[in-house]
Amino acid sequence: MNMAHAQHNTIIAAQGLGKRVDTAAGPLDILADIDLAVDAGETVAIAGVSGSGKSTLLGLLAGLDLPSAGDVWLAGQRLNALDEDGRARVRGQQVGFVFQSFQLLPSLTALENVMLPLELAGEADARKLAAQRLERVGLATRLDHYPKQLSGGEQQRVAIARAYAMQPAILFADEPTGNLDNATGKRIIDLLFELNREHRTTLVLVTHDEKLASRCTRRIQLEGGRIAAAATPA
Amino acid sequence: MTFAGRWTLALRLLARDWRAGELRILVAALLIAVAASTTIGFFTDRLGRGMLNQSAEFLGADLVLESPRPVDPGWLTQAREHELRSAATLQFASVVVSGERLQLASVKAVDDSFPLRGSLRTAPQAFAQGQVTGDTPARGEAWAATQLLQQLEIDVGARVTVGDLSLQITRVLTFEPGRSGGVFGLSPRLMMNLADVPATGVVQPGSRLTYHYLFAGAEATINGYRQWLQARLEPSHELLGVREGRRAVGTALQRAERFLGLSVLAAIVLSGVAIAMAARRYSERHFDMSAMLRCLGASQRDVLGLYLPQLLVIGVLASLAGSLFGWLAQYGLLYLLDDVLPVAPSGTRLWPVLAGLATGLVTLAGFALPPVMRLRRVSPLRVLRRELAPLPGRAWLVYGAAIGAVLVLMWRYTGNAALMLSVLAGAVAAVAALGVLGFALLMVARRLHARVGVAWRFGLNNLWRRRAGSVSQILAFGLTLMAMAVIALVRSELLENWQSQLPQDAPNHFLINILPDKVEGVSAFLQEKGIATSQLYPMVRGRLVTLNGQPVREAVSKEEPRDNALNRELNLSWSTRLQEDNRIVEGRWWRAGDTGRPLVSVESQLAQRLGIELGDVLGFSLGGATLSATVVSIRSVQWDSFRPNFYMLFPPGVIDAFPATWMTSFYLPASESALLMELVREYPALTVLDLDLLIQQVERIFRQVTLAVEYVLVFVLLAGFAVLFAALQSSLDERLYEGALLRALGGSRRQLRAGHLAEFAALGLLAGLVAAAGTECLAWLLYTRVMDLDYSFQWQVWIAVPLAGALLTGIAGYRGTRPVLERSPMVLLRER
Repeated sequence: MNMAHAQHNTIIAAQGLGKRVDTAAGPLDILADIDLAVDAGETVAIAGVSGSGKSTLLGLLAGLDLPSAGDVWLAGQRLNALDEDGRARVRGQQVGFVFQSFQLLPSLTALENVMLPLELAGEADARKLAAQRLERVGLATRLDHYPKQLSGGEQQRVAIARAYAMQPAILFADEPTGNLDNATGKRIIDLLFELNREHRTTLVLVTHDEKLASRCTRRIQLEGGRIAAAATPA
Repeated sequence: MTFAGRWTLALRLLARDWRAGELRILVAALLIAVAASTTIGFFTDRLGRGMLNQSAEFLGADLVLESPRPVDPGWLTQAREHELRSAATLQFASVVVSGERLQLASVKAVDDSFPLRGSLRTAPQAFAQGQVTGDTPARGEAWAATQLLQQLEIDVGARVTVGDLSLQITRVLTFEPGRSGGVFGLSPRLMMNLADVPATGVVQPGSRLTYHYLFAGAEATINGYRQWLQARLEPSHELLGVREGRRAVGTALQRAERFLGLSVLAAIVLSGVAIAMAARRYSERHFDMSAMLRCLGASQRDVLGLYLPQLLVIGVLASLAGSLFGWLAQYGLLYLLDDVLPVAPSGTRLWPVLAGLATGLVTLAGFALPPVMRLRRVSPLRVLRRELAPLPGRAWLVYGAAIGAVLVLMWRYTGNAALMLSVLAGAVAAVAALGVLGFALLMVARRLHARVGVAWRFGLNNLWRRRAGSVSQILAFGLTLMAMAVIALVRSELLENWQSQLPQDAPNHFLINILPDKVEGVSAFLQEKGIATSQLYPMVRGRLVTLNGQPVREAVSKEEPRDNALNRELNLSWSTRLQEDNRIVEGRWWRAGDTGRPLVSVESQLAQRLGIELGDVLGFSLGGATLSATVVSIRSVQWDSFRPNFYMLFPPGVIDAFPATWMTSFYLPASESALLMELVREYPALTVLDLDLLIQQVERIFRQVTLAVEYVLVFVLLAGFAVLFAALQSSLDERLYEGALLRALGGSRRQLRAGHLAEFAALGLLAGLVAAAGTECLAWLLYTRVMDLDYSFQWQVWIAVPLAGALLTGIAGYRGTRPVLERSPMVLLRER
């Protein structure tokens, strides 16, 4: 039992986390010596300039990728001890994602996109549940639209409905407003925080948007692959 | 950009794409199409020439000119100038005498060069096995057929008299090339030296003589000479080429050629589908590049100028490689089939290489050009908005190009415009119908999805979600499976159908010239010896002279003035019951009360050639008397069944009064040939014809055809796999992305794998059902319209094809989507 895991309400923990890739010029550390712990229900912003390793950290914390050093715990499971299918199971049960470029399948309607995680989990009422989630994000009339028939903001709403489909404990968001204009971006952020409150979800988001970062309870600043400052806004 | 600059850049881009593996499927599919067409081109060319050779052996020459008089010596000089070998024979009927006994024989006097193709076979005594010989009868000698010896009650060594000349029988003649015109009603053969003919004194003005001039040489020379001759022929002349030589062999050859041509076409069209899919993917993967080029100032023309040369280079290189492969594959085939292939004139001809190159370019143009043309219309704005894709090519352009290419290839491989158009119209209708069927099946499958497990639900949902793609894949796999099923079906049917017509005890002997008062005796004899015979048929010799009151030579169309049926006496017969292998095509068979009425049933091919229709009145001349009869039915006849068959059949009581002889056929194993001796001793007037050689010959040809067909099947199979592979590849990018997303959303690899398996197995199953429906229709068409065979519902197809489809696509899809499982979900964070 380690220190990050000691507190019962810690839902994400990383210790000595590092990611090294081999390049033509020799090994390159994208991330190094990351230690952090996130409590359930917290909202955390990972901030930093381009190339500071924000997305890599998000990928490691969410179990999308494996670290080359250190350990990651997610909902009590040590991710780097699990195989890919084990990590997938944890993701399916505990994690929702919102991506910068929405990542909706273009061949599926809004409803079908939201049904995907439900279907993967073998949910019998996938269609009904998915419709409810879309209704919650204000897209009740857009169920049968394809992504290309929706605006950017609407697409991101579908992505949020999909992320909340399985009522995950943790939501990871990667630059959720990066592809949206200011007004739309603000509405999306409002929606994310609303849902966060409703479902008591832990929210971890990567952003370089100061306004967004400032709405989080905590902010982790990355510089050159290391944590420069972890501050709790006043 | 300058022309040279464009080409340099195009080649550099091509090299990069090649290195990146972007072109593999396109090139592989093209390679298969060209290799298939050239292998088969080389092979059929060789096989065709071999078969013609074999037919030539039957004819004794490549070309035979028949004439009642000696022909202008200039014609023979012309043949020599064409560097053709030639031989001459003279045939006449003459009484052959031995002591007290007389027998009418068909005498054939031959020169030393006879035959030019094939060989004579002779035996030292009657009913012994014949051996190939290179000799012809020496002067003063004669070779006789067994029947003649029997009828004269003599043996080898005896002397016979023909006219004024005495000849010694030195051998028994068992086989003679060219004795194929009409098997029936022949008097037994006596062969002698042409130089002895004047001494016989039988050739007098007014004698009924038939001169045969035989020619052999290179195919082109023969064709040239044939054309030269044709312009000079008189009505009494008749030309016989190898294709007209022998009906059964001719039919087999024709079927084989049609079939092989059709198979090549199937392989090419399938490869075309694969090429189209690969080209589409190629095009889509170059949208960004084109957008960037446009952004950097390239015009639409510049973009095309970059991609079209690449396509051309791919086409030429892949086609050349394919031709080379085809050429090698042909050698492999020749090596494998060395024992059974007919001997062909040596030398490989170059045209299959050129044809392969043309096939490759036409296929590429038809199937790959439209998708690549799309690159021209990529908007430069795509640099900013990636989702901007050019409009898909106009349907008429995409399908028009493909159909155009197929048309060109069909013309090349079938050489028959009418067949081509009807097949094409049928194909377009069929593809549309099968597409609708595929969609309907997909809807049914979707209904099922609530009742199946997660993996299946996922697979079926996937199919439905990509329904446009799914329908086209169902169509593509369906057509592949259909092509393979049809070929497998037709292949076995080609053999089985013939073998079922020719069971182990297929008649191998004909008994002819049975006099009416001996019919009962002969029947009783055969029955007593346990020999099963076909029915005994009466045979009256007659000539067709008028058609609806007009002399028949004027009544028939211009192209057929020298139809064989008009030149010689026909065998007329009557029967109460329709023979087993005959089928009424039009009209009706005799009814009660038709007995004695002047009605006639005509064989369908003859009716077609002479334009005889139901209700026409035919006038016959029967030994001086005339007879008019109304056509009430047209019959199809299986001439290769080796049973007695007739062009003209009457109801009983119409021609009974004319002098008739009877005939029958039966099977007699070689070991019991002594029975034949006994039979002809008891009934010396009748004639036995031995068909074993002919049957063996036809059997051999069928075996060769089957082997060739099996070889072709390999290419069709390869092309089918290319389609499968291309289809997988074309959806792989999307699947990779989707797989990453699903795994991010918590899907396990097992789930993905099961989903893929279910999806592809379902796809294969649906494609199999579509293929089964298509197979049933196409096979019916092929059987009844192209191959003149009967068709029956093939229920096995409905089980075997969907199962094979599910299995093949299931396994291929399962293996082909493996990379999807390996792709890290991190791409979702990196690709923006």
